[in-house]
Amino acid sequence: MIERVVAELQRILADKGEAPGPISADARLLDGDLGIDSLDLATLVVALEEQTGREPFKAGFRMFTTVGELAALFEAAA
Amino acid sequence: MTRWLHPGFTLVDEHGAAAAAEIEAAAQRLGKELPWRGRAGLAAVDARTILTALIAAETRQCDLFLIRDATSGAEIGHRIEGDLVFELVPDATAGTGLVWLQSSGTTGRPKWASHTPAALRQRIAAGQAPARWLLSYAPGAFAGLQVILSAAIGGHHLVTGSSSDGIADLADLALTHQVTHLSGTPTFWRAFLMALKDATPPLAAVTLGGETADQPLLDLLRRKFPAARLRHLYATTELGTVFSVADGRAGFPATWLGADLAVTDEGTLAVRRDGILRDTGDRVAVEGDRVLFRGRIDAMVNIGGVKIWPEEVEAHLLQLPCLADALVATKPNPITGSILTADLVPAAGVTETEARALVKAHLEALPRAARPAVLRLVPALQIGETGKKSRAP
Repeated sequence: MIERVVAELQRILADKGEAPGPISADARLLDGDLGIDSLDLATLVVALEEQTGREPFKAGFRMFTTVGELAALFEAAA
Repeated sequence: MTRWLHPGFTLVDEHGAAAAAEIEAAAQRLGKELPWRGRAGLAAVDARTILTALIAAETRQCDLFLIRDATSGAEIGHRIEGDLVFELVPDATAGTGLVWLQSSGTTGRPKWASHTPAALRQRIAAGQAPARWLLSYAPGAFAGLQVILSAAIGGHHLVTGSSSDGIADLADLALTHQVTHLSGTPTFWRAFLMALKDATPPLAAVTLGGETADQPLLDLLRRKFPAARLRHLYATTELGTVFSVADGRAGFPATWLGADLAVTDEGTLAVRRDGILRDTGDRVAVEGDRVLFRGRIDAMVNIGGVKIWPEEVEAHLLQLPCLADALVATKPNPITGSILTADLVPAAGVTETEARALVKAHLEALPRAARPAVLRLVPALQIGETGKKSRAP
């Protein structure tokens, strides 16, 4: 799942015209290093929902800060 | 000192700190440039320019147009006769000292709404304990102006970032300046919580507005800022702020329903104003002792605090000859409340790759919130039993 999150993030960054470097599971999504904002993160989540058919946020927002934590939410939503 | 500034006000922005007296002096200089009872357009880029212009324009009884979408590159004192800015202002009566704010729409020209200086100042209370505010909203938006004026008129400390600052920069500013007051959309707050990492600014007031606040987010904020006054506001474009809820629970107490706040036969919330019950178009449901918001009765969708009409986005896409048809729908999203998705049917002879590239380029003309996050290329649209396209999530 982490690979899937990273691949989707890199696609979003490429769409924004940014050069996507390597992204680790510990990478914090909104701490400024990745260069994405809320709308990009919303796009990432909806793309992952479409690909996996899983909806970890069906009951509302849940806290996550890193790539790995987001991947774990999707894995747990199986 | 004018009525826009309390002598104790200080502003900290990317240019450094400015005291009230400094902004006042800049306003006096600007006042000499502004036409008496004329009109001036201003690119509403930051709090400092907005405050300077508000003071100067009121002194000169000059109409002030705060331009958010600064396509014209208008600067302070720039006279707008014969200019593009002028064309954006169809029904303005010149020279009465009104402040004009621009709304953000899905497509087309932004709409203008006028406010008297007195009305803008009306709800702002001065003389409370000194607070340190951080501006999370666009400075020229109504919500942004309210935060700026709360700090300026109240004599507080206002910290602002630059327009290029992201959420991580705002989180850093909140920590560096030990911000005590912060107001933002639920979308802002979710991102802010994520960007704060383990640090916690000493927030005494946490305010949510512009979108429906959900219970999981309110619970997270309560846990992160246990000492803060947690409020969510209900406001509409037409009515302004209607009420604020301070008990940390989503929706509002059912006991508030009555003569001034009612549920219509269609299940929407109506608010009495000037003796007339006005339908807000916001659907509500009474669950136990709470009234909860359930989205819109019309096609409007709120994406991160920006009002979007999916049908307008669809009409924008259908301008493209490379598409035979398009369906723009909304999908619930944990970050921005909702997000748009688009099903696209390429015209005969157009490949998926071509269609995708043309659509992406065409969407650049729309505000980011209005651009569908998912573009699905499909051979045909799913048509509901009524023969209409189904936009439901």
